[in-house]
Amino acid sequence: MITKKKIAALGIAVMLAAVSLAGCSGSNKGESSNKPSNSAPASESTSTPDSGNETAKLTGDFEIQYFVGGYGDKWWKKVIADFQTANPELNIKESAGPKINDQNRPRWIGGNPPDFVYIDGPVLNDRQMVEDGQLEDLTDWLKDAKNIDGELITEILAQPAQQFDGKVYNIPLVLNSWGVFWNKALFQDKGWAEPTDFPSFLAVSDKIKADGITPFIHTGKYPYYINGSILFPAIVTANNNDFTILQDMAANKVEAFESPAVLAALNKIVALRDKGFIDKASIQINHTDSQMLFLQNKDAFIPNGLWLPNEMAKDVPEGFDFGFIPSVTQEAGGKVVANTSTATVAIAKNGKNKEAAKAFLQFIFSKEQASQWAELSGAPSNIKGDISSSNAPSFVKDAAKYLTDPNTIVIPTITYNADVDKAMMDATDALTINTITPEEWVKRVTDVVKKVSK
Amino acid sequence: MNAGTAKWQRNVFIASFIIPTLIFFGVFTIYPVVQGLYYSFFEWSGMSDKKTFIGLDNFKEMLHDPIVWRAIGNDYFLVAGKVAGIMLLATFFAVALTRFGFRLAGFFRSIFFIPNVISVVVIGVLWNFIYNPQIGFLNAFLSLFTKEKVSITWLGFPDHTIWMLLPPAIWAGIGFYMILLIAAIQSIPESYYEAANIEGAGQWKQFWSITVPLTWEQIKVSILNIMMTTLNGSFVIVWIMTEGGPDNSTQVMGSYLYQMAFRQFHFGYGASIGFVILVLSLITTIALQRLMRHDTVEMS
Repeated sequence: MITKKKIAALGIAVMLAAVSLAGCSGSNKGESSNKPSNSAPASESTSTPDSGNETAKLTGDFEIQYFVGGYGDKWWKKVIADFQTANPELNIKESAGPKINDQNRPRWIGGNPPDFVYIDGPVLNDRQMVEDGQLEDLTDWLKDAKNIDGELITEILAQPAQQFDGKVYNIPLVLNSWGVFWNKALFQDKGWAEPTDFPSFLAVSDKIKADGITPFIHTGKYPYYINGSILFPAIVTANNNDFTILQDMAANKVEAFESPAVLAALNKIVALRDKGFIDKASIQINHTDSQMLFLQNKDAFIPNGLWLPNEMAKDVPEGFDFGFIPSVTQEAGGKVVANTSTATVAIAKNGKNKEAAKAFLQFIFSKEQASQWAELSGAPSNIKGDISSSNAPSFVKDAAKYLTDPNTIVIPTITYNADVDKAMMDATDALTINTITPEEWVKRVTDVVKKVSK
Repeated sequence: MNAGTAKWQRNVFIASFIIPTLIFFGVFTIYPVVQGLYYSFFEWSGMSDKKTFIGLDNFKEMLHDPIVWRAIGNDYFLVAGKVAGIMLLATFFAVALTRFGFRLAGFFRSIFFIPNVISVVVIGVLWNFIYNPQIGFLNAFLSLFTKEKVSITWLGFPDHTIWMLLPPAIWAGIGFYMILLIAAIQSIPESYYEAANIEGAGQWKQFWSITVPLTWEQIKVSILNIMMTTLNGSFVIVWIMTEGGPDNSTQVMGSYLYQMAFRQFHFGYGASIGFVILVLSLITTIALQRLMRHDTVEMS
C-alpha cells in the first residue's frame, strides 16, 4: 500500500514537473535542433579562376541561399538560370524561401553552410555574421575583381561595400532609400506645398494640422522607420553632411553619440513632437497600420522606405500619387540626405565551392543584371547604370535618379550593433512620447555602447 | 506459473506503458531543458559555430539588467491579474449558469467558450484593432458619450500599458475554467442545496459553505494552471500586441528571451532567461500549492 502511494506521489511529481518544464522547453526548441546537418553537397571545384574576368570551367556543386521577401524571387530564378547556362557543368542548388534563414541556421552553426548567401530578412545580420566569422574576407579579391564584362566591380558599384575594421565581407546588391512620403494628389487638392527642407516641412505641417489632418505618422512598434528616415539623415545634416559620424556610431565610438549633431537631430524630433505633428496612434501601431492610415489620408506624411508603393500596391486607393523625398531635416538650401537601405551578398567562409561563388559575384554585378534586378524586383540595383530605358516601375527610376544626383548626400550601408540599434529604437520611441529628453537619449544609448564595446 | 514469472510479467506490462512515455518525455522535455541550461553558461550568438564558456556570467548580468526585473514584475502582475480576473468571472458565470436555472444556460456556455477555440494570435490581432486609437472599437464606443472624439492610445502609455494586456488575456481564459467549474458544481448532489435551503441558508451562504469547499480541487487546479500558462506562455499575446514595447514597458520573460536570443543575438543570455523562467515556475507552483493546501472534503 505504501509503495503504491509512493509510486502515485512520484507520478504526480513527474507530471507536475512535466507541465512546468514543458512550457519552458518551448524556448529551447531552437537549440535542440542546432545540430549540424550532414547533407552537405560534396563539392569539388576543378576550376581555379583568378580574380580577373577569365571564365574558367566551373564544376562541382554550388549552393545559393536566398531569402524571398519584399523583392521576390523572380530575379534570382532568372539569374541562376542564366548562370547555369553559362556554366553547364556546375550543379547549382537553390536554398530559398521566406523561412530559409531559419531553416539553414543549423547548417551555419554546424560549419556546413551554403556557398553563397543573400543577406536579407529579419534573421540575418551582416555585422553579426562577420563577428561570428561566418563570412569570407573579400577585401583583397574585390580590389581587382572584374565582372563578366571586364569592368572592375568596385567601379560600377553605386555604393561601396561596408567595411568592418577595414575589411570587406559583403557587397550591397540593392540600393534602396529611406525617406518621407506624402500623397501628391491630396497636397494639390488642399493647396499644400511639398516639403523640400525642414523649415518648409514645419510650415506645411502647420497648415495640414490647421486643416484638421495629422501631419505625421510612423510605426512606434518598429522605430527603425523613424530612425532611418528622420533621425539618421538629420544627424548627417547637423554634422555638415558628413556621414562618417554614422559609421563611427556603428563602430561603437562613444564620442560620436555624444556629438552635438546627434542632439541637434534629436531636437528636430522633439520639435515635431512638441508642435503636436506626430500622430498619437504612432507609438502603438505596426508598420502596416501606419501605412493604412497614411493611404486613407488620415495622416499627411510617413517615414518609410522606397518599397512602400510596391508593398501596399493592393491597398493604394485610386488617385493616390506617391510623393517622396529622402530627407526633410536639411536646412533651407541644404543638401538632401539619402539614408540607403540595402541587402547584400556574401560568400560563406566555410563554403565548399568558393570559386563558383566568386564567379557568381562576377556574374551578378554587371549592368545587364542591374537592369534585370530593377525590373524583376521593383527596387534599384546597387550597380551604376542608366535604367531609364528598362521596364522598371517609374518610382524605381525616380529613386535611382535621386540616389545618383550629385546634390544628394548618399549614406552608404551601415549596420549598427544589434544592442545599440535596439537601444536607439527604444530611446527614440520614448522621446516621441515625451518620457525622456534628448540628453537622456544620448545617455541611455552611450551606456549600451560602453557595455557592448567592453 | 511461479511467483517470479508473474512478477516479471507484471513488470514488463508496467514498463511497456511507462518506457515509451519516459522516452518521449526525456527527448522532448528533459533534453531541451538540459541543453538550455548548458547554453546558458556560454556567450553565443546563436549563429556562430563558436561558443565561449563564461560560467555564470549570464546569470550575473541578469541581476543588473533592469529589463529582466521589469519583465519578472510584469509576469507576476499578469499572473495576479489573470488569476483574480479569470477565477472571479469564471466562478461567477459557472454558478450563474448552474445554480440559477437559466433557460439559455447552454447558449451562454457556448458563447463564453468561444474565445477558447480562437488562437491566441487571432485574439491578439483582434484586440489590437479594439485598442487602435484611430479606427479602434473602444475609442469609437467611448466617443458616443463625449463631445470630442476620444483618441486614447491604449497600448502607448509609458507606464501602464501592461494593464491593457489583462482584458484580452482574461477574456480568452474565462471559458475553459468556467466549463471546469460547471462540471464540478454539477457533480455536487442537489440534496445538499435543498437541505441548506430548508435550514434557511441564503445563496451566498450556500456558495461559501457548499460550492466553494466541494469545488476547491478544481479551483486549485485552475489557479495553478493559470499561473503556469501565464509564466510560460504570456509571450504570445505580448509579442503579437506590443512586442514588449513601448520602450520595453510590457516586456515579459518570454518576450525578452525571444528579443535577446533571436533579435539581439545573445542566445546564451536567452537560454539563461529560459532557465530562470523554469525555476520561477517551479518555485511559484510549490509556493501556491502550499498556500492553497486545504483539507480534502469528501462527498459521501
